[in-house]
Order: sequence, then structure tokens, then C-alpha cells
Amino acid sequence: MWGTEWPRFEVIKQDTQHSPPQMVGSVHAADPEHALLVARHVFVRRPAAYALFVAPAEAFFHVSQEGLKDLAPRREGGPEEAYWVFAKRSHRRSMVYGDLVGRFLAQGPEDAIAQALLQAQGVAFWAVPERLVVGTEPTEEVVESWFAPAKDKRYRLQSYYGLITAKGVEDA
Amino acid sequence: MLDPYLKEALVARLTAWADDEVVLAQRLSEWVGHAPILEEDIAIANLAQDELGHAKVWLELRQELDGSDPDHLVFFRDPLEYQNAVLVELPKGDWAFTMVRQYLFDAYENLWLKEATKSAYLPLAEAAGRILKEEKFHLSHSSLWLERLGQGTEESHRRAQEALDTLFPYVRQLFQLLPTDEALVEVGVLPDLRALEAPYLEEVGARLERVGLRPPQGGYVPKSRQEHTEYLWSLLAEMQSVARWDPEAKAW
Repeated sequence: MWGTEWPRFEVIKQDTQHSPPQMVGSVHAADPEHALLVARHVFVRRPAAYALFVAPAEAFFHVSQEGLKDLAPRREGGPEEAYWVFAKRSHRRSMVYGDLVGRFLAQGPEDAIAQALLQAQGVAFWAVPERLVVGTEPTEEVVESWFAPAKDKRYRLQSYYGLITAKGVEDA
Repeated sequence: MLDPYLKEALVARLTAWADDEVVLAQRLSEWVGHAPILEEDIAIANLAQDELGHAKVWLELRQELDGSDPDHLVFFRDPLEYQNAVLVELPKGDWAFTMVRQYLFDAYENLWLKEATKSAYLPLAEAAGRILKEEKFHLSHSSLWLERLGQGTEESHRRAQEALDTLFPYVRQLFQLLPTDEALVEVGVLPDLRALEAPYLEEVGARLERVGLRPPQGGYVPKSRQEHTEYLWSLLAEMQSVARWDPEAKAW
């Protein structure tokens, strides 16, 4: 964090009740609750969503495909905690960069990613302790007020809106 | 089908709601490009668009009743014809002023919209239900800011309290009935706004107290929706300038 800048939070969006949470970008915010609110404004005004999660960006451990060979998971019998592990599946251009592979009990993020590698391929991986992930409540009230209104809003590309023109444009 | 007197009364009421939303949307939009952080800039543009969308809903309901054109009402009425409450026309002030006003207005909307979902006029009940969903989220946003401003730093608290001191008396105007409202209340089309003032003051008062802010006593409450401050003139002049510059423009 620099100067007076607010911390950055990674935003994780779940489109439907049965789709995997995906990393979609990040927001600056004062705290996790605030981050969730601005994430709703920035990422979910139009497309459908079922839930949002945020976690401090600095809490993410990340490793690329090239770095995997040097990954040294700690397995010394220490305490375990749950991690969420995300994988970027390919280099194809996308609005989304990591899909949730799963939740793994591990002694550290490296260990969690090593476990995730048994289930998923990818060109990059992220791991974040579950205790730092804050999500919207999966209640009907929240889904209705945070996400349902977006369904009625039509998304239009900028080019849909032409320039205002003077009268008699049809004849021009 | 509504009888002509009720129809006229409902047209007046829908116009008052729409004008509140249009004017507030315009004030919110003044922050675009100037909000304290990019994320809030996007957020406030969303809020402005939502409020404008709600105005459109009310004016389209009016259109069903009297055939009036929503765009014409918004862009070609003079300030004296606007029926908005003074609360929404006051200049945007600092961020605290904008967020405190938004909180006070969102809390009011959440309260009356909930009641309006029971309206005997079904198009109104249905629209209120739809708008209420969005307003619940708006209230989450403005409540969050109220809390952080009230309990943040000495400066944020001071600014929020100053905003509240100015704004609070104007809130009470929102609960006044228009001269023709009584008839709508009697037939169950309109919730009795006067009866909502006490629960509002209780709910809002409790939240303000929790975040360390104190509603002021007394203060001037405008007597009717014909009353405006000088600020409405410049707001409408800017908002209507393009439409009035070329009133016959017909294509986008």
C-alpha cells in the first residue's frame, strides 16, 4: 500500500449457484465490506451474478506454469488451514483470469497448489487462505437486491448509441 | 379504471416522485469524473442511472394515464413547474454531504416503496416492488458510507455532522402530502406518507446515533413542492440545455 491509497482487493464472481467462482479483477476499497459493494458496482451492473467474494490482493500467493518446478510445498506436520485455489486455464484472452479449482486443507499456499495440481492443469495458479475471503450472503434478499436488478437491464455496446444529429436526419 | 379526479391526483403524485429522482440523478452525475476514487466514481454513475431509470418508470406510468411525453416533461418544464423536494436540489457539496443526503433519501424510499407495493393501483404496486429491490442495494451503499464517515476520522465526522445539520429539516418535506394526495390515500392507491414519518425518524435516528451523528432539532421545512431554492435554476439550465438548444432534434 502506498501513501494514503486504499488497499486492493481481488474480486471473485460466481455467475450462478452451480458455476465456479472466478477471479474477475480487483477494486480499491477501505475494507472488505466496502470492497464487496464497489465490486457489485464495477463488475456486476449488467451481467448476471449469484455471489461475490473479495480478499486482500496481498494475501494471494501466485505461481506461473514456469515457476511450478520450483514450488516447494511445506509439509512439516504443522497446522493446516483451508485455501481457495484458482487456475488460469489457458492464455486465451478472457474477461476472467482464474477459475476456482477447489478448497484444500494445506499447511501453506504452495501445498494447496500442489494438491490442486492433481486435479487441474493451468498456466498460472493462485491460492488464498479461506479465512480472508469475504462474500455476499447467499440469502434471497441479497441476491434480489444486489444481483436481480441487473437481469432487467439490457447491455448495449457503446456503438449502439449514435451521435445526436440535427433535425431532418432521415433526409440527409 | 381510475375516476378523473383520482387520475389527476395520481399524475401529480407520480410527477413529484419522478422529479425527485431526476433532480437527484443530476446532482449525483455531477460527481462523475470527480469522485474520491475511481471505484466510487463508477458507483455514483450507477446510482445516478438507477435514479434516472426510476424517474422513467414513474413518468411512463404517468404517460399511461395522460399521454404525456416523459422526455418533454423532463427537458422542457421550467423550474417553477418542477415538483421535486428541496432536499434533492441542494448543491452536491462535499462527499459527506452527498452520501448523507443519499442515505436520508434511500431510507425514505425504502420505507415508502415497501408500503407502495400494497397499492390498490396495480401498476404502481408492481413498479414499487421492482424499484425497491434496487433501492435496498442503494441503502446498503449509503449506510456503509454513513457509518464510515460518522466513525472514521475527526474530519469525516465533522463533515458528516455538518451535512446532517443542513439536510435533516428538508427530509421532513418528503412526508408531506400534496393537496390531492388525500383522495389517493383514502382509496388505498397511495400509502399515507404522514404516517411513515414517525417510523422513519425512529429508524434513521437510531442508525445516526449508532454512528455517532446527531439529528438537529427544528430547522426550516419547506411548505410545498412549489417551493424551490435558486439552485434548481442552474441545475435545470444545465440539464436541459442540449434539448432546448435544438428542440426538434429527433435522432440519436
